[in-house]
Amino acid sequence: MKLKICAGLLSFALCAPVFADAPGNASAHGGSDAHVRELSNHLAEYEAEIKWLLDKAQALIQVYADKGSKGVNTDELIDNFEAVKVHLAIELNYVPIYAEVWQGIYGMKQAMEEGKPAAEAEAQRMAFAKALWQGMGVVKLAAQHQLAQPAPSTSTDEAAQSPTATLEEIADTLDDVLALYRKGEIEKAKSLVHATYLNRFEGVEGALIEQDADLVEDLEKDFNVTLLKALQSKNATRTVQGVVSAMQTKLERARKLLKEADKNRRDVF
Amino acid sequence: MRRRQFLQTLAAGGVVGALPAGLNTVFAADASEAVSVEDLPPIEGELTLYLGRGEGGLYERVLDAIRKRNPKLELGVRRGPTAALANAIVAEGRANVRRADLFWAVDSGAIGVVEEAGLARDLPADISAQLKLGFRYEAWAPVTGRIRTLPYNPTRLSAEQVPDDVMALADSSLKVGWAPAYASFQSFVTAMRLDRGDQATRDWLKGVKRHAKSYAGELGVVMGVERGEVDLGFANHYYTLRLKAGKPDANVALAFTNNDAGCLVNASGILALGENPAAVTFIRYLLTREVQSYLAEEAYEIPLVDGVAMPQGLPPLASVQPPKIDLTQLADLRPTLDLMRDAGVL
Repeated sequence: MKLKICAGLLSFALCAPVFADAPGNASAHGGSDAHVRELSNHLAEYEAEIKWLLDKAQALIQVYADKGSKGVNTDELIDNFEAVKVHLAIELNYVPIYAEVWQGIYGMKQAMEEGKPAAEAEAQRMAFAKALWQGMGVVKLAAQHQLAQPAPSTSTDEAAQSPTATLEEIADTLDDVLALYRKGEIEKAKSLVHATYLNRFEGVEGALIEQDADLVEDLEKDFNVTLLKALQSKNATRTVQGVVSAMQTKLERARKLLKEADKNRRDVF
Repeated sequence: MRRRQFLQTLAAGGVVGALPAGLNTVFAADASEAVSVEDLPPIEGELTLYLGRGEGGLYERVLDAIRKRNPKLELGVRRGPTAALANAIVAEGRANVRRADLFWAVDSGAIGVVEEAGLARDLPADISAQLKLGFRYEAWAPVTGRIRTLPYNPTRLSAEQVPDDVMALADSSLKVGWAPAYASFQSFVTAMRLDRGDQATRDWLKGVKRHAKSYAGELGVVMGVERGEVDLGFANHYYTLRLKAGKPDANVALAFTNNDAGCLVNASGILALGENPAAVTFIRYLLTREVQSYLAEEAYEIPLVDGVAMPQGLPPLASVQPPKIDLTQLADLRPTLDLMRDAGVL
């Protein structure tokens, strides 16, 4: 297993393995990516990370100014950015700024490695800072959008998920739908149903239909007609609860079918 | 012989209902046979793969099998939606950062985005030589294919009543099912745009819209056809094959158009981003007889190397006549979406 170097001690956990223990579960920056699904809860943390990144860069440039190229390990700049959560938050929400952040890092790195004046490295640090704060602005906007409407997953750092785990997640999400309905947030509840169908259920129904076409047909109708219709009725908590509960029973049956089918699949080699 | 093979497949699968009259061999078979994994060297060292979300579970099983066979390989995998990963690779490339050695995308359009940015390295000629004619590219390797089809309900119309010209469906009286928001449908419209031009495509969309019913996804289209809600639909081939696997007596059969976007063969593909030699060996593993036949049997994907059987229920690829389109051009989605909005279908 390869580990990134952790550049410093912080009040929040920044040191994350690049390749986690689970086979194939690579986390390129900052471990779990769950934070990008609830950006608004992490804005303060992202800001603290940006300040930390800039302080670390400034300290490195100061050492460079005092001791020259041999006194600094410029790879720290990359390691630090790889380790923070704000990395993924910017990457997912505004790719052009993401590129500028990397350009800032490499600008500082190159200036120090080529023995240029410290002022040149500092100018690159300012460009790095500008890109990071612009990125933070976009992340804040995205957080507002996310609050207004639950967003489908656009993560580029997902863990491998089996179809059976996806079905469990769908069943859990239906509880969230019910909770939103109880709070009177009907549009959000409907959006969550749509997003769950398109981003989760559609990914597993192909495999499921081979096992039980009628069950898929039932669930398709539940997602696209029955549940939405129930959500549109006011004061119908018991009805919505009934639909959700029936769907969860069907999803559990689907999970068992896929688990069994998976056991019977042949080996690749 | 090819005609006989096709008829045998038709009889065995009970799925294929109509093919274009001219069974020309655009994808004529090459003499070469698929390489076995037994003939490949082991893969060693670190390798980072960016994997676009697709046939998730089965691709993971392929990766696990490659890992198991190559204990000295340290394979890191970053997963996400294909388009988002392509954007990340381009952004990283723009900043002179390379974190991925390989990009395996479910959609050749995303491959085009990375290739156009000049980030893909040329592959050895023997790799493209393993692929069927029409699927040979310098800087990426198609892995498996999928074909656009017209699933139709045989209790509502006969095979002969299904047009073999996709453009004819605009003026037809048949009730059509489609999923305009679906990525595969949008790739098909892009192919039509490249093949027939924007105006003809806009007219076609407006024409079909008059007698179309929309579905959220293409499995929904196939199920709608089966239930008799519509006469026929537009969908990738595997939805019908999967439905037939789960419900052998389902009222759905497959038809193909002839030399137009209606029978486009699109592909998943892989490219190497740097000079890591392990990356090229990894690509060779995906093109082995074993991986190709696994994906054909378990995921109903179309193998793109010779000597591997097609999924049951599909005719040989050589018997279908898809349009000649550079698959990487399908990345140009924005004009397609504008046109679909303009036609009122999105």
